Amino acid sequence: MAGKIIADTLEHSTAGSVTTDYVVNGSAKAWVNFNGSGTIAARNSLNTSGLVDNGTGDYNQNFTNSFSAADFAFVMGGKFDSGASNLTQPITNHYRTTQTSSTVRIGMQVPNTGADGFDGDTVTSINHGDLA
Amino acid sequence: MQTPSFQGTHLFDRLCWAKENLDGVQSDYRVVYENSIDECAKILVPDPNWMACALQGGILPPVWVYHELAKDEAQPDFKKHTRGYLLHTTEPMPAMTEEEAIEYLIMKDVPQSVWQTWDEGNRPKMVICKKEQLPQQRTWRNAWRISDELAA
Repeated sequence: MAGKIIADTLEHSTAGSVTTDYVVNGSAKAWVNFNGSGTIAARNSLNTSGLVDNGTGDYNQNFTNSFSAADFAFVMGGKFDSGASNLTQPITNHYRTTQTSSTVRIGMQVPNTGADGFDGDTVTSINHGDLA
Repeated sequence: MQTPSFQGTHLFDRLCWAKENLDGVQSDYRVVYENSIDECAKILVPDPNWMACALQGGILPPVWVYHELAKDEAQPDFKKHTRGYLLHTTEPMPAMTEEEAIEYLIMKDVPQSVWQTWDEGNRPKMVICKKEQLPQQRTWRNAWRISDELAA
């Protein structure tokens, strides 16, 4: 590809240097932001082939470039805009997670509600790890 | 825009090129399927950036590559992929129509036990529809099933 730079180290004039290993290994390899209510749909993403709506607050994110194994790290979050109080509430629990190298299952739940799953207006998933 | 010659380029680099150069395509197609009698119907939704890659051509690997990787991962002694190079070195797929892209995505992301036998049995296990045909409210979402009317 054009514009290729091969470098092992990036050095700032005053702030020090960092090896490009940090950049390669530390960058998210997949992410998605999607509407988890109504008819779900991705707003924006990277390395995501599709989503699966498994049920209430229960989704899969599928990857285009699989990870090298099922041991990649993931972070998920979300929020919903409560119609009654018009408050934006965070959804911080994820109660159902399974993963293979090509997909991760995301279960969203509002803390302390006892609800089994909750559809978020915004659901996000960020994935770090080694790609296949 | 012409796709660069990507064979041998890491798939992730191709996806980054696509994200920078292609506009996402929101498909109206949805794939509804059932793969367990104990679970409600599931709905596969294509990603807009992925759909843009499929329509553009020259970016995505053939779907059989994913099947080969899935076979490897199903082995009991699987630790990590050793044939990931198939994603990067196999000649990419040419441009697809939206309908062909949905077929590809079904074969990639729907369990094979569903799409290989979708019309066997008393009722279909999978239906391709437009999003307008789905319920607009998620009331009783965990009880959704494919309509028996489609079995006729």
